[in-house]
Amino acid sequence: MPHRYCQDGEDAVATCVLEDMVLLYHRPSGQTHMVISPVPEILAALAEGAALTASEVHGELSRHYDLGPAEEALPQIEAHLAELTALGLVRLA
Amino acid sequence: MNHALSLKIGPATFRIGSAWRQPVEALARLYADYPDAAGKVADFTVRLEPAGLFRRWLRPSIFITGDHGLADAAPMSLTHGLLAAEMGMNLQMALGWRRHLLLHAASVERDGQALVMTGESGSGKSTLAAQLGERGWRLMGDEFALLDLATGDVLPFPRLVSLKNRAIDVLAAEAPAPRMGPLLAATAKGDIRHLVPRSDAVRRMGQGARPALLLFPRFGHAAAVRGVGQGEVFMRLTQASTNYVALGEPGFAALTRFVRSVPARAIDFPSGEEAIAMVDRLWEELA
Repeated sequence: MPHRYCQDGEDAVATCVLEDMVLLYHRPSGQTHMVISPVPEILAALAEGAALTASEVHGELSRHYDLGPAEEALPQIEAHLAELTALGLVRLA
Repeated sequence: MNHALSLKIGPATFRIGSAWRQPVEALARLYADYPDAAGKVADFTVRLEPAGLFRRWLRPSIFITGDHGLADAAPMSLTHGLLAAEMGMNLQMALGWRRHLLLHAASVERDGQALVMTGESGSGKSTLAAQLGERGWRLMGDEFALLDLATGDVLPFPRLVSLKNRAIDVLAAEAPAPRMGPLLAATAKGDIRHLVPRSDAVRRMGQGARPALLLFPRFGHAAAVRGVGQGEVFMRLTQASTNYVALGEPGFAALTRFVRSVPARAIDFPSGEEAIAMVDRLWEELA
């Protein structure tokens, strides 16, 4: 079974866009993260309580963005989800 | 403590105690025009104590301590007692202040708007702020700018300006002698002389201003102006703040508001005069 990922709580992150980067203030840890695309988009795909697999995140993003060949994009999304999980911004559902 | 003095600088009240008379007398003279804080509850205590059992008398040596201290702070000579007291107050602010987002930055005000300048020690921000303070701007502080968490205004912390090495002569030529402190020669940071801010800066030390321009000055380079992206500004300001992490989300909100609303430039300059001309030009253009 592939992992399912969800955001770390509905209200866990405060977001602020600064030109071409996004700041994420993670309320439970008090840590500030500076991120760029596609991280904000991946987090947005997990909004409103969604619990998705990496493949479903890819499907959600490809509805809005041209991600190129799936065999290249999917491993990158998986890597980002693993990093975000390590940071505590995303958790396994 | 045998000798003590209470001081109010901006929103903060300090009680300085000393084993020796000299540092307290020097402070009392230089802070004579500041509001009387005697009997007020102090936010911080600074203590200047002998570094060892006999060091009150024998090669007197000061250990700076207080509510917040650094365990490995090097003792200082009694002849640098004034500097020790100033450092002690800075240390309390840097380690203990929580009411505002504290930025290691100089700030000056004109027409109700603030120019904030931040940079490493030696960047020239302190000297530039002091010079502007003698030339029609209100000096709000040369070391700490306090960002109000609710309003986003910059609040003053107009302590004595600490002039180092070459900056001493530059300001001695502009400011009247009674506002200059004694020369503290050969300290760990070189020669130091303190400058008392002008009386209007002291009188209006409770009055904040809306931040209108942020500069990252750098002294000793050919004149140049560079735009600074918001991401870089944010990162540099978190590094310049001693309490950003401690303040949590209100700090995040205040800092992001500042970064998004205040135009920022990095300026390189070879001399004070050129820096002042650049500031005037950028202020005209951006503030």
